[in-house]
Amino acid sequence: MTKINFYLLEYAYAYIIRNKIKNIFIITVFTLLVALLSTVFFITTTVEHEMKGRIEYKPDIIVEAYKAGVRSSVDEKLLEKLLEIHGISSGNLRLEGVYDFRAKNVRFYLYGVAPFEEVSDPFIKNILKNEELNSSNMLVSKDVKELMKQAYYDKYFNFIKPDGSFKKLYIKNYFNIKKRKEFQNLILLDQDALREIFGYKENQGSYIALSVANKNELDFIASKIRLMLPNVKVISKNDLNVSYEKLFNYDSGVFLSLFIISIFTFFIIIYDKANGLSSEEKREIGILKAIGWRVEDVLHAKFYEAALISFFSFTIGFLLAFIYVFILKAPLLGEIFMHQNLLDIHTFNLNIYLELSYSLLIFLLSVPVYIAATLIPSWRVATLDADEVMR
Amino acid sequence: MITIENVSKIYEEDIIALENINLNFNEGELIVLKGVSGSGKSTILSLIAGLSKPTVGEVIVDGKKISKLPDHFATSFRRDNIGIVFQKYNLIPTLSVTDNVLLPLFPLNLSHEIMQEKAYRVLKKFTIEHKAAIMVRNLSGGEQQRVAIARANINDPKIILADEPTANLDEKLSLEFIEILRELKSKKRTIIIATHDPLFFDLDIVDKIVLIEHGKLL
Repeated sequence: MTKINFYLLEYAYAYIIRNKIKNIFIITVFTLLVALLSTVFFITTTVEHEMKGRIEYKPDIIVEAYKAGVRSSVDEKLLEKLLEIHGISSGNLRLEGVYDFRAKNVRFYLYGVAPFEEVSDPFIKNILKNEELNSSNMLVSKDVKELMKQAYYDKYFNFIKPDGSFKKLYIKNYFNIKKRKEFQNLILLDQDALREIFGYKENQGSYIALSVANKNELDFIASKIRLMLPNVKVISKNDLNVSYEKLFNYDSGVFLSLFIISIFTFFIIIYDKANGLSSEEKREIGILKAIGWRVEDVLHAKFYEAALISFFSFTIGFLLAFIYVFILKAPLLGEIFMHQNLLDIHTFNLNIYLELSYSLLIFLLSVPVYIAATLIPSWRVATLDADEVMR
Repeated sequence: MITIENVSKIYEEDIIALENINLNFNEGELIVLKGVSGSGKSTILSLIAGLSKPTVGEVIVDGKKISKLPDHFATSFRRDNIGIVFQKYNLIPTLSVTDNVLLPLFPLNLSHEIMQEKAYRVLKKFTIEHKAAIMVRNLSGGEQQRVAIARANINDPKIILADEPTANLDEKLSLEFIEILRELKSKKRTIIIATHDPLFFDLDIVDKIVLIEHGKLL
C-alpha cells in the first residue's frame, strides 16, 4: 500500500490556503449542495421507511360506518354480516379514537384493549405484556404523562364524556415510545372505559378490522363490501399503500426538483473547474516540474488538494444535513411531509434512519467527480513542456 | 559535460527562438550567456534543463541525450543533476523557507530526519538558516533569492542554471550573489548564467561569455 506523503499533503494544504477566497467559495457551495442532497435523501428515505412500518401492522381491511356523510360508530351486527363474506377469515370490532384535550391544545390517541384480544402491533403488544387494565385506569406515554402533569393531573385524568360528565382514569403506568414517535400521544385503556368516553354502546366500536385469508383477493373483497354496503367506507391495505405512495410521490416530486437544481449547480462548478486552470496555476505546475516533480508527483499533490476539499465539504455537508433532519427535525423543508394523512394517523416523525446506498450515491456523485475535475486539467498542463507552461 | 549540437528551436506560429546553435561546456566552468531580452538565452537554459525539447538537434548533458529522454526520465534527471534559479525566484509564498528549499524533495517522501538535515545544511551554506521557519512572503528580495539558490542546491547538483539572477537585486545584493557563485565554482559546479547585467562581463570567475542575438551565436 502506498504510504501517505505528508510533504505533498502539506503542499496541498498550503495551496488551498494560498487560494483562500476561491477555495472558501468552492467549499461553501460544495457543502451546501451535499447538505441539500443529503437532506432530500434523509427525509424521503426516513418517511418512506416509516410509512412502510406503519402499514405493516394495519388490518387487511378497515370498515368505517357513516351516517349522512358523517363518520359514526360501527355496530356488532355489521361485523356479523361481514364475517359471512367468503374469503374473510376473521374480524373484530376495534375501539380507538382521538380525544381533543383543549386545555393543552393536543389530541390524545386512545387505544382500547380487551383481555385475550390479539394485538398486531408488537410495540403495543410489548407494553401490555405485563400490564392488566381495568375500566378505571390507563397506560400513557411519557409525553402524555408530562402534558397531564402540566394541567395538574398527576395521578389521574378526567375525560369529558359526550353527556358532559367526567370519566376519571388513574395513570397506572407510563411507557417510553423509543423510536415509535407516532405513539407520542398514545393512551392505552380498557375497551369499556373507551366506550364510556366516546359514548359507544356495548355492541359498538370505532371501526371493524378484517383479516383476509388470501392477500391477493384483498381488493376484490374490498370492492365486494363496497357493493354490498354503500353506506360504509372500506379501506384495504392496498388502498393504504396507494394513498401513502401518492402522498409520498407528490412530496418527492418537490424534492426531486431540489435535487435536480443541486446536481445542475454542482456540475456547472465541475464544468468550469474541468475547463482549465488559471495562468497562475499553470505557472506553478511548470515551476514544480522545473524543480524536479514528475507528472505523477503533480497529480499526487493535486489529488490531495481535491481530496481535502471534497472530503471536508462532504463530511460537513453530511453532518449539517444529519443535524438539520434528525436533530432539528427539518424545519421548513420537512413541513412538506408533515401533514395529516387521510387515515388520521399521526404526523410523520423523523427518526434516525440512514440508507447507506443513498449516502454512497451522494458521495460518488460529488467526491470522485470533483477529484476528477481537479486532476484532468492538471494532468493536461503537467504533460506539457514545463518551459511552455511557464511562459 | 554539456553539448548542444545543431540545435534549433521554433515555437508556435514559426517564431524562431534558436537557429543552428552549437556549444560545448566543460565541468566546473562558469559560462555567461549574454544577450538582450528575447535573444534566446533563456531558451538555451530551458533546453539544457530538459524543460523543453529542441525542434532540431540534440542536447547532451553529462553523457545523457536529455533532448531525447521521455518527460518522466528528464524530470528525474533534472531533479538529481540540475538546479535552477529563476529570475522571479518562483518560491511558494505560503510555505516556510525550509519547505520551499525542500520542495524538490517532497515527492521522494524521505524521513523527517533526512529532510531536516538536508535543509539545515543548505540553509547554513547560504546563510539563511536563521529564517528557516519564516514564511517566504515575509522575506526581503535578497533573502528570497538566497532561498531560491538554496532550493537549487538542495540535491548538490552538478549543474546550476540561473536566469537573470540579478535582475531584481540592488548592487550590494548582486555582489553578494557573485560571492555565492565564487563558492559554488570552487566546488567544481558547472554554472550557466543567462544575463544582460554588465556586472558579470568582467568577472574573474567567468570562463566563457557566449554572445547571442536573434537566436544565433555571434
